[in-house]
Amino acid sequence: MTDPGGKFRFKPLFIDGIHVAYGKAGVLSDVSMEILPGRITCLLGANGAGKSTLIRAVLGLTPPRQGSIAFDGMDITGAPTHAIVGKGIACIPEGRRIFPKMSAQENLLMGAFQERSKELIRARLEKVYGLFPRLAERRAQLAGTMSGGEQAMVSIGRGLMSAPKLLIIDEPSLGLSPALVNENFRIIRRICEEGTAVFLVEQNVRQTLAIAHYGYVLSQGRVVAGGLPAELKENEQVRKAYFG
Amino acid sequence: MDLLLQYCLNGLMLGMMYALVAVGFTLFFGVLDVIVFSHGDTVMIGSFAGLATYWWLHSTYPGLPAGWAVLLVLLAAAATVALLGIIVADAMIVPLRKGPALNTLLATMMLGTVLRESIRLFFPDGSNPQTFPALLPGWSWRGGNLILRFDNLVLFCGGALIIFLVHMIINRTRLGMAIRAVAQDEEAARIMGVNFRFVVLATFALGSAVAAFAGVMNGMYYSEINFSVGLLLGAIGFSAAVIGGLGNIYGAILGGFIFAFLQTIGAVAIPFASAYKDVFAFGAVILIMAWRPTGLIAEPSSQRV
Repeated sequence: MTDPGGKFRFKPLFIDGIHVAYGKAGVLSDVSMEILPGRITCLLGANGAGKSTLIRAVLGLTPPRQGSIAFDGMDITGAPTHAIVGKGIACIPEGRRIFPKMSAQENLLMGAFQERSKELIRARLEKVYGLFPRLAERRAQLAGTMSGGEQAMVSIGRGLMSAPKLLIIDEPSLGLSPALVNENFRIIRRICEEGTAVFLVEQNVRQTLAIAHYGYVLSQGRVVAGGLPAELKENEQVRKAYFG
Repeated sequence: MDLLLQYCLNGLMLGMMYALVAVGFTLFFGVLDVIVFSHGDTVMIGSFAGLATYWWLHSTYPGLPAGWAVLLVLLAAAATVALLGIIVADAMIVPLRKGPALNTLLATMMLGTVLRESIRLFFPDGSNPQTFPALLPGWSWRGGNLILRFDNLVLFCGGALIIFLVHMIINRTRLGMAIRAVAQDEEAARIMGVNFRFVVLATFALGSAVAAFAGVMNGMYYSEINFSVGLLLGAIGFSAAVIGGLGNIYGAILGGFIFAFLQTIGAVAIPFASAYKDVFAFGAVILIMAWRPTGLIAEPSSQRV
């Protein structure tokens, strides 16, 4: 595999035996995963299985009670979110979470909040506008007044603005038309091909397994399966949960 | 006619002062969803810090030109109160966010009392009103019965400059972008790499420093300050922020001028008892709130910053 930007050369995200709880209720118990560079790793699981909690733990929003998380060779367990982001992790959160009172362009600039170099920011803006020409036309429009599809573009573009080593994408298809969902999967594959590792949380199992290199299945706060997409398709738990 | 114009000039002056106080209320609400009831007393601390600085300057450098004295008094007051704001936010308001919002409300009310009583007990002769020095030359321009004081003009322009600076910080700087992001979606802002704690502390420093300017302005305008001046100023600033729509900076500024305008109408309409001007103004605020519960220029979804 060629590696012009050197991005494949980071050490993976290691999640090692984490337990996460809100109050007294345990949500994740003994979850371990490896998200490797150059790959799309997907996370499957029913609603309430703990997928969002896992992402919150990785981002430092809900630190784990036990276990550890390491990224690129550094322990990030319990680190503040902005420090974790500074290590090269970005997230396209569930529900898009755009800043409604900011213009599309300001939203994109927020994605590169920790980047100080004006040239780099300008270059990335141009890249995102190349990916989504529609955003270029509407760069001055308040994001809150855009259509759902356009807001999805803002959210994806914003996630790319920091040129992350690892991009976490949480339920990108939610509420989008089938055409836009297909477009999304095409873009996710392209992001990975350009050197960013992707950790993809999706409900859309068939399409997800079609583009993923590896996958985990979460059920009731535990990892019940992990493997190559072909293996997961044959897995009893996955079949029962998704393929009927 | 001259009298009416005079009232309007005084009203503009007061409006600027109220706007500066209201900006703090609305900034804090924007980033943390809290009402900081002690903010009026922060203004009062600003006046006293300014006064203490003046005393020190006066005894150490008696011949200091007026311009320098004003500038140093303002800077010292702003720095003192900004530091106070940072400490209060970090030690009290951020930790209290884990509990119900009412706790913050109560805690900041109590903090206000602590600040007031501390000045009353520990400031030299703090229980009596203190004369606030005229830091600027007492030039004035007279036209008929109309008097335009030079120092008021300077204070008004200074206030306008401060508001312009706040506007520039919020809209043109990286910190301002972070403040707006946190106000619109705190968690999304964190995910973008914003250092939440830093943004909160910077916001409190900014809002408090602006309040210090209002405090010094208040002292110079009335030539007198006392330990309880923050109670009324706080109530007015909070009302102004609510009239404009909490969380909206331009609404708070507008609200400050509206409140002063209402007071002026009250004073003109009830000339025999000018003390009723506050009763009139607060009564009108209640009516405005009943008519527009989310503020005059807020959108239905409660606009932020």
